[in-house]
Amino acid sequence: MTDFAIRTFELSKSYGGRRALDRLDLDVRRGEVFGLLGHNGAGKTTTVSLLTTLLAPTGGDAEIVGRSVARRADVVRRSIGYLPENVRFYDDLTVLENLRFFARLSGLRRPDPRIAEVLELVDFTGHDREKVGTFSKGMRQRVGIAQAILHQPEVLFLDEPTSGLDPVGVRSLRDLIVRLNAELGMTVFMNTHLLSEVTKTCTSIGILRQGRLVHHDTLDATLRRFPGEESLEEIYFRLDAAVAS
Amino acid sequence: MNGFLVSARHELLATRRSRTASILVIVFVALVLASAVIGWITTRTVTDVYEQIRAAGMTSAPNPFSGASPLYFARNSAIYVVLIGCLMAIVLGTEAGLRDRRMRTSDLVLTRPVSAVSRLLGQFAGLGIVVLVALAVSLAASWVVIAAITGGPLSADETLRIVGFGGISWVLLMAFVGAGILGGVHSRHETAALLAPILVWSAITFVLPQVGTAARPIALLNPVPSVAATGGGFDLASAITGPLAITEQYKRVGAYLLQDPSASGSAALAVMILLTVLIGMFAVVGVTSRRSLRRALDD
Repeated sequence: MTDFAIRTFELSKSYGGRRALDRLDLDVRRGEVFGLLGHNGAGKTTTVSLLTTLLAPTGGDAEIVGRSVARRADVVRRSIGYLPENVRFYDDLTVLENLRFFARLSGLRRPDPRIAEVLELVDFTGHDREKVGTFSKGMRQRVGIAQAILHQPEVLFLDEPTSGLDPVGVRSLRDLIVRLNAELGMTVFMNTHLLSEVTKTCTSIGILRQGRLVHHDTLDATLRRFPGEESLEEIYFRLDAAVAS
Repeated sequence: MNGFLVSARHELLATRRSRTASILVIVFVALVLASAVIGWITTRTVTDVYEQIRAAGMTSAPNPFSGASPLYFARNSAIYVVLIGCLMAIVLGTEAGLRDRRMRTSDLVLTRPVSAVSRLLGQFAGLGIVVLVALAVSLAASWVVIAAITGGPLSADETLRIVGFGGISWVLLMAFVGAGILGGVHSRHETAALLAPILVWSAITFVLPQVGTAARPIALLNPVPSVAATGGGFDLASAITGPLAITEQYKRVGAYLLQDPSASGSAALAVMILLTVLIGMFAVVGVTSRRSLRRALDD
């Protein structure tokens, strides 16, 4: 069994003539909470879309727990959970009906006990008979996390998970991510531009700039490398400025 | 349970929850049932008038309905299938094809171990059950009404003919469900998703038969086969457009099954054409790419 949850090998994606991701080489070890940082348009969502098999690479390859996303996409899909930015569900259906559908698509034959377990884990019991169409963004994010972990994936991909949440929602989701990682040993790959969240959640980080990975290290090592800087935000801007120049 | 069955089951649930879909199915069932009731009322009225005229000694001719097949009363059902039934099928298909894109659930579905083929054909199959139930309920009710009109149950042969009529109606409606799904999956706008298959349906139902037959438009709304081609250019046009006018092919098969004395042409060929169109529709829906399923709407 490989030590790496995610490995990419010169992973590239172009849209027409524009290169959105340029030869990305990245390793994420099992059990890590990895934060991918970058400005808007840096290629973060493209990276997640490639790793979750939603997009096909135009160059290179990637492995999720040792399986190629290009050649064994169907097997990769069994190993991953995904929470997109602004997650949406079938509004006319209840939480239970939505989760049953996604659980069955993931191969769970009798999903109800697992759904109850997962709803308890995300602190959302008692809402299972309510229609999702009536929910706030924070509530949908919880159901979103629930659908992502139903089938006990080895790697959880979160695309801007705290975007649009109020401070209470942000804290609660952050605690949940940390718990999923600590209690269930799930590897978490998180896209974000909220540096404060990364400091509180991630064990390692990468910084993308114009489709290229300009920094990749553990959070501790990154903070040690820049002893004069007080926060990750300062480090981020310093790195960004260095690359830009 | 594999992706195909999960999608089929989910489609049943989603259609049941959709108000538009439910209303259309109810309207369709009610209209097919109404066609039998209208036949009943017509027979009663004509027979009453006939009895009065005969009592007054004004006629010695037999009652015009005395020799008619009991299935005569279901003949108008063919028109409701071609009109409201096809529209219902298109709306159901479009809703299904659009749903994941409109609700933005495509990415949640496509990061699961399910292929685009299983997903779409599963939805197709789910709607196949919805259409089957709608046809079964409406034709069963028609059977009961006809039995009430004729004063006794229909024979096994007549019942089988109604079942066959239901079967061929299912084939036609599923072809339009497929057109709706394709509209839903490939259109950039929600409105175009519905409009495109409706335009195709209008052309097939109202334009093509006229091109080949010079039929009067009103004839297209009646449960009779098209007026025969009148020679010359019409023969050629009819040969080209005839197989494409699948609603005319359906009406031809329906006329044979429901023992319409004016039925003409080859019913076997018409059945082959309808089945070929349905299989073709399955194939076209089946080759839809994953990329199409997650393309954002421009609305």
